[in-house]
Amino acid sequence: MIVRWVCEKDKKKWIYPVERCIYCKGLIKKQISTKAKIVGITKVNISSPLHPIVPYNVILLEDEFGNRMPKKTMKDYRIGDQYSLEKAKTDSAVAMTKIKYDLGDALRHTLGLLRFKFEDFDNVLIKPSIIEPAYPYQAVDTNPQILDELIMLLKEKGISDILVAEQSMPGNDTVAAAKKSGILDVCLKHKIGVADLGKSEYVEKEHEGMRLEIAKEVFERKVINLPIMKTNSQVGISGAMENMIRVTSPKTQKELFDKDIEKTLPLFVKALPGFLTIGDAVSGMQGDGPTSMGEPAFLNILYASRDPVALDAVFAETCMFPLPKCLEEAKNLGVGKADIGEIEIVGDELDTAKFRLKSADREATPHSRIRLLDGKADPASFNGALKMCSSLIGIGGYELYLAIGRHFTQEQLHGKSRIVAYGSDAISVLKNRGIGVIVEIPENAYDAEKIMMLKSVIENKDKTSLK
Amino acid sequence: MGAYIKGVGMTRFDVDKRMSFQRINECVSEALESSGMKLDDIDAVFASSTDSGRNEERLKHQGPMLSSLFQKKMPILNVPAGCAGGGAALWDSINYLRSSGCSNVLALGYDTVASMTSEILTDEILMGGERIYEQTEGLNFPAQNALVAQQYMMRHNATEDDLALVALKNHENAFDNPKARFYRKNVTIDMIKNSPVVASPLRLFDCSISVDGAAAAIISRDKTDIEIAGSSLYTSRLSAFESEDMTTWEAASLAAKDAYEEASLTPEDIDFAELHDAFTPIELMSYEDLGFAKKGRGKELIREGITNINGKLPVNVSGGLKAKGHPISPTGLSQVYELVIQMRKQAGKRQVDNIRYGLAQNIGGVGTIATVHILKNLN
Amino acid sequence: MKMYIKGVGMTKFGVHAKTSQELAYEAIMEALDDAQMGISEVDEIVVSKGDSIHDGERQRLYPGVLSSILRDEGIPIIRVTAACSGGGSAFWNAVHSGKRNVLVLGIEKLTSSLTKFTTDEFMMAAERIYEQTEGLNFPAQNALVAQQYMMRHNATEDDLALVALKNHENAFDNPKARFYRKNVTIDMIKNSPVVASPLRLFDCSISVDGAAAAIISRDKTDIEIAGSSLYTSRLSAFESEDMTTWEAASLAAKDAYEEASLTPEDIDFAELHDAFTPIELMSYEDLGFAKKGRGKELIREGITNINGKLPVNVSGGLKAKGHPVSATGVSQVYEIVRQMRRQAGKRQIDKTRIGLTHNVGGAGSTATVHIFKNLGG
Repeated sequence: MIVRWVCEKDKKKWIYPVERCIYCKGLIKKQISTKAKIVGITKVNISSPLHPIVPYNVILLEDEFGNRMPKKTMKDYRIGDQYSLEKAKTDSAVAMTKIKYDLGDALRHTLGLLRFKFEDFDNVLIKPSIIEPAYPYQAVDTNPQILDELIMLLKEKGISDILVAEQSMPGNDTVAAAKKSGILDVCLKHKIGVADLGKSEYVEKEHEGMRLEIAKEVFERKVINLPIMKTNSQVGISGAMENMIRVTSPKTQKELFDKDIEKTLPLFVKALPGFLTIGDAVSGMQGDGPTSMGEPAFLNILYASRDPVALDAVFAETCMFPLPKCLEEAKNLGVGKADIGEIEIVGDELDTAKFRLKSADREATPHSRIRLLDGKADPASFNGALKMCSSLIGIGGYELYLAIGRHFTQEQLHGKSRIVAYGSDAISVLKNRGIGVIVEIPENAYDAEKIMMLKSVIENKDKTSLK
Repeated sequence: MGAYIKGVGMTRFDVDKRMSFQRINECVSEALESSGMKLDDIDAVFASSTDSGRNEERLKHQGPMLSSLFQKKMPILNVPAGCAGGGAALWDSINYLRSSGCSNVLALGYDTVASMTSEILTDEILMGGERIYEQTEGLNFPAQNALVAQQYMMRHNATEDDLALVALKNHENAFDNPKARFYRKNVTIDMIKNSPVVASPLRLFDCSISVDGAAAAIISRDKTDIEIAGSSLYTSRLSAFESEDMTTWEAASLAAKDAYEEASLTPEDIDFAELHDAFTPIELMSYEDLGFAKKGRGKELIREGITNINGKLPVNVSGGLKAKGHPISPTGLSQVYELVIQMRKQAGKRQVDNIRYGLAQNIGGVGTIATVHILKNLN
Repeated sequence: MKMYIKGVGMTKFGVHAKTSQELAYEAIMEALDDAQMGISEVDEIVVSKGDSIHDGERQRLYPGVLSSILRDEGIPIIRVTAACSGGGSAFWNAVHSGKRNVLVLGIEKLTSSLTKFTTDEFMMAAERIYEQTEGLNFPAQNALVAQQYMMRHNATEDDLALVALKNHENAFDNPKARFYRKNVTIDMIKNSPVVASPLRLFDCSISVDGAAAAIISRDKTDIEIAGSSLYTSRLSAFESEDMTTWEAASLAAKDAYEEASLTPEDIDFAELHDAFTPIELMSYEDLGFAKKGRGKELIREGITNINGKLPVNVSGGLKAKGHPVSATGVSQVYEIVRQMRRQAGKRQIDKTRIGLTHNVGGAGSTATVHIFKNLGG
């Protein structure tokens, strides 16, 4: 519960890990307590951006070694009470832990709250999020430290057949992404194999009128889903559910988005064998996620659950976002629990962690003059469009709208002019709806051509067509 | 080598709409006038101002702003230290004065606090606490101090009535201080005891009030009527819960011990003090940390009226942080302001007589940084 | 009363996942080992670190953070902030503290914020009403100064590229530098994207994380701090009559030379503040190494190369070693010490009798100059 890093020789205690003692240069020991009692409590009535819900209490815990730690709680404890945490009673419980400097401890503590025992785990597939080459501090891909801790934990449990697998967003180089995110280094350190799910052998599954091609490893191994928790301009949040999209072939991904991802995602998750999700909110992302347009959220939280829908719902609630549509659908289909009132949350109390994160702007692109009209486009078009915008940074001009995908709402298109359609989906759908488009950019044109076409619209205020 | 105080200046501590440079101009002009000096006579400036850029002025490089304001190129340094900024700036300028060849140094504290929304202000001050253990658990500044106060009150049987007496004393003192926020504002014991709870057991009237302000002191090698007899600064752990005994602030007691030693004095020699009453219980605890009362017996001083304006050891005659106001960085220097004008018999209605030795104690964080300055009246 | 340097320490400058206190701890441990001292012998610590709204750390009372990690209640610790001159300012403050053993630490963690936030934070070192509202972020401020300098003294973009190339070649052999063993060619430099014309990406120093520490003392050692001076001047570059010289720097240099009883010709090697390549050229003049307008000759004739008469930025400078704002000024001292003690490995230069460091904050608003004398063999 309460941890201290101690140099016994010099009698010095640190509240965070130091490598060696600054006095004797000797080794440091960890001192962890198992019980704590409450020696102080204050009820706080003033709010601040990170702590908007008042009143809340802060209790002062003291353990058997005399070490202390403050803890925020909504419960009205009394001085002298013993402090203990309840473990999960139901299968759809979500465990939530505020990380205190030791990620390994936090991971074990979180899984312990779920009573998770790794039974029958002879071979494992770890599925992190590695969508784009980015540094860990950008919070785009799963934090390599949590992967490191997870692998060490599995090895402690005697599990050695571990595979890490993922594929980046179409158009991004999976190997480069694995490298820059630091994930490849972790795998090399542990001599773990890394697989590119875009090049896997797929198993075909007929499900709810869709032909899903799912990587065979998903059925051959026990899956541990390790997403980084982020905002997502298309589905609300990138979490347990969204991360699993990338175990399918690029063809299937397109099919899922073509049939409206907010409806197909929960159906798809239903087709998968059960899996454990560990939600990486060591930093997490807010703002214009899920790509590097978003910003780190510095949440310092670890989530875990056997129910991916419940985990996502708890995350959404932590950020004080409205419940994303696909979670609503998931609940209706019985894929998992999405009502906060019905979900058992163990560990840290949800209300002590809630604060307003920035949600995603659906129209954001990297270019200050280009706004995105996203008809829930498939990942290839979505990524392709954002990359086109990036390459034009530095070119000034006049605002335009870049339309992608096929599921546009009326309000999205209302009153917009200077629309450029990218991809056959957008081109055909907008034509059928009688929306005037200045330029049509096919997805199979050369990159240089695409950029030139877009550039010509930015630079020409009165451009009405390519001719 | 001796260091002396030439002059002091301070703006009225209040919520005002002025920009920093206007406040600085006012208090530095007062300090120069009271020293009979011109700005050109100043050799260096040690300023303290929180420069996180979160108020509307968004300035993170304070030194050059002062250089442009004073129209002079000279060494100017910013030494922010949270609520201990004023004391830190003074301590650093004294060290500089003694080890460089210069004659006159200006110590300056200024902050625009009240123009931030109270949410942002709470967040800024929250950042004085440790991130992983305190900030994530909602331990904003009043809450941190509340837990300390609770431990103190439980162990030493101090009561909420004792806290109210501290607040009352400081408000009655501020009533006669034209520079104080609560100047001529009547505050009764009922108002204090019935004020809303901020972070239990601390009520609104147990907490010092955030205001804007600026304060300055000009120190010099040249002998004047006020000598700096002792000056010390200590820094200790960031979080109160790290300490074995949460009811004493080590940095404060170490700083006091050093200052007494430097001045060749004991606590009994002090006639007058300005303490850091960021929260009323901290004043009681400081009586002990400074040696005015034995451990656990701070409450007796307030109950017996010893620290009232007409008592044996008047404390916070200016009104203290509670009733004069607490604009963060200027506070430590405003304490020196009070000591100086009292010693020069310029304190008007709140004049106290026979002050030979005065003490100013300034604290940052929850006992993280503490400064103690002792002044000797040569008049 | 003269002060001397006992030891120095520094982390590698780069993108670190470690927290700032871990970086600080590492640099301090190295400095204590270097000085063969224990932390309890330190009488004061002066730390420089900027405040950030957007890094994940959110620690405003940094002296407390240091006290907690050093586990010693009995050391006064204060913080100094002065934008990019934080390190040099802390060092100057320490030299004038009157204490026996002082530890100076510069620490910054820039990479936990995104570029757009770092840009905003840096912009807050400028004046609000005239500069910030008109989009004058830090590269832009320096770009206008650079432009005035280049127009008046006929310096060219080729001259700027030569400065960048020199510093990158130097950093190649500096294990603590961001660009250690990273090959950078003149073509990469000249074709890098424009950030704020005429400054390209490779004209700008790189924002990284890092910590650097130095322990100075009244006890005599082999390295004497012969001159130490700090000057603060106007906030905005456009306020100056002559935008092509930074008065704070030339005043600080003049005072430091006087205190050390030396002239610019006596300096054997220097670590200058090359936040942007043109600033290095300008600084040659501000520090008296070249007459006004003739800074470009030094780089063209190779005088400031590692094998030249006056090696400048052998560490790689801010450009190629990296610029963790508050740590930079102290890392310059690190290089001086390593060179003087002949511990600089592949980049060791021969003549290291007198060294100079020059650290600037804002667009020439605050400047510190320190001169060091090698009393060793």
